[in-house]
Amino acid sequence: MATRKETRAAEVGDWVDERSGWRLAWTTVFIRKIPKVNWLYTLGSATLFVLIIQVVTGVLLMFYYVPEPAQAHASVQYITHDLSFGWLIRGLHHFGASAMVILTIAHMLRVVLYGAYKYPRELTWLTGVVLMLLVFSFGFTGYLLPWDQRAYWATVVGTQIAEVTPFIGGWLKTVMLGGEEISALTLPRFFGAHVWALPAILLSLVGIHLYLVVRNGITSIPKRDD
Amino acid sequence: MTDVTRRKFLVRAIAIMAGAIGAMIGAPAISYLIGPSNERSNTGEWIPLGLAASVVPGDPVLMKTTVERTSGWLVDTQEVSVFVSTENGQDFTAHSNICTHLGCRVRWVADQAGFFCPCHNAIFNRDGSVSTGPPPRPLDSFETMVEEGTIFIKEA
Repeated sequence: MATRKETRAAEVGDWVDERSGWRLAWTTVFIRKIPKVNWLYTLGSATLFVLIIQVVTGVLLMFYYVPEPAQAHASVQYITHDLSFGWLIRGLHHFGASAMVILTIAHMLRVVLYGAYKYPRELTWLTGVVLMLLVFSFGFTGYLLPWDQRAYWATVVGTQIAEVTPFIGGWLKTVMLGGEEISALTLPRFFGAHVWALPAILLSLVGIHLYLVVRNGITSIPKRDD
Repeated sequence: MTDVTRRKFLVRAIAIMAGAIGAMIGAPAISYLIGPSNERSNTGEWIPLGLAASVVPGDPVLMKTTVERTSGWLVDTQEVSVFVSTENGQDFTAHSNICTHLGCRVRWVADQAGFFCPCHNAIFNRDGSVSTGPPPRPLDSFETMVEEGTIFIKEA
């Protein structure tokens, strides 16, 4: 027996469904058939989950963070020590960043070891490779933002690594830093990349990546004679 | 509750866990966002103005000092100017020199025995009350205290 409340909810669902087709979308995404798989197949979802945490905590941090050399460090200290639960928001974002890198690599290893990148899933793999590079870029640009000694020297080292790129290394480093060395120009460009450019590209690619996962379905665990 | 299938159970369990995770981040996030708007910094502190001996019965004396104000992680100094007067050298009254009409600075005009605001010719009496002009309320006053010869006002 459906209760009155359930009937009412179903009516609202019908009304919205008639105008949006959400039930088909829901079924296609969440009620799709999958082969019998193991827990390693949850690594992609785990990465997506941490990504959502990063987006939410990142947006929250932007309410107080100021990407300006004289204030950046003080605003981070204010978030961490003075705001209620600022330590939690920043902590989640900080450790979430490490989790993103670890989970992305673990997810990629599962795909490699199970041969899940093969036909017809090459595009999912290719978008995944770009997504992994984007995750590293997030880590690199975000590392400078607290504007402390560790941030400064990590960026010195990171850009010097970029400098040894054949032919374009010197130019690449100058473009990354907005000059010959870390300056007032470096912080806003890392910030702009970290909160606008990279998220726009990453979220678009995540959309394509997930569409392809749903479109092609997931692989089963390869058997001994595969 | 007999018709709870495995599927229904899992759907509910996932919904409850998602709700719990959402609440664990959502509740701190709300506190984090509205936190600073509840903070009233510096109020109720006693600010030293100067020597009580410099205020004698008669004309009010304009005393100036600076206070440190914090906004978030920034600290800046603001000038505070207060007219202090006394009738007996024991009890002191302190009035802000900011006109309650549009915020211009008032000055003491001795021969009219009143605070004169140059913007709209308003005049306040010695006790801060409005004599003539557009101001909607008397000059703001401060609680005063004298300790070891120094006058303090309580920050409002």
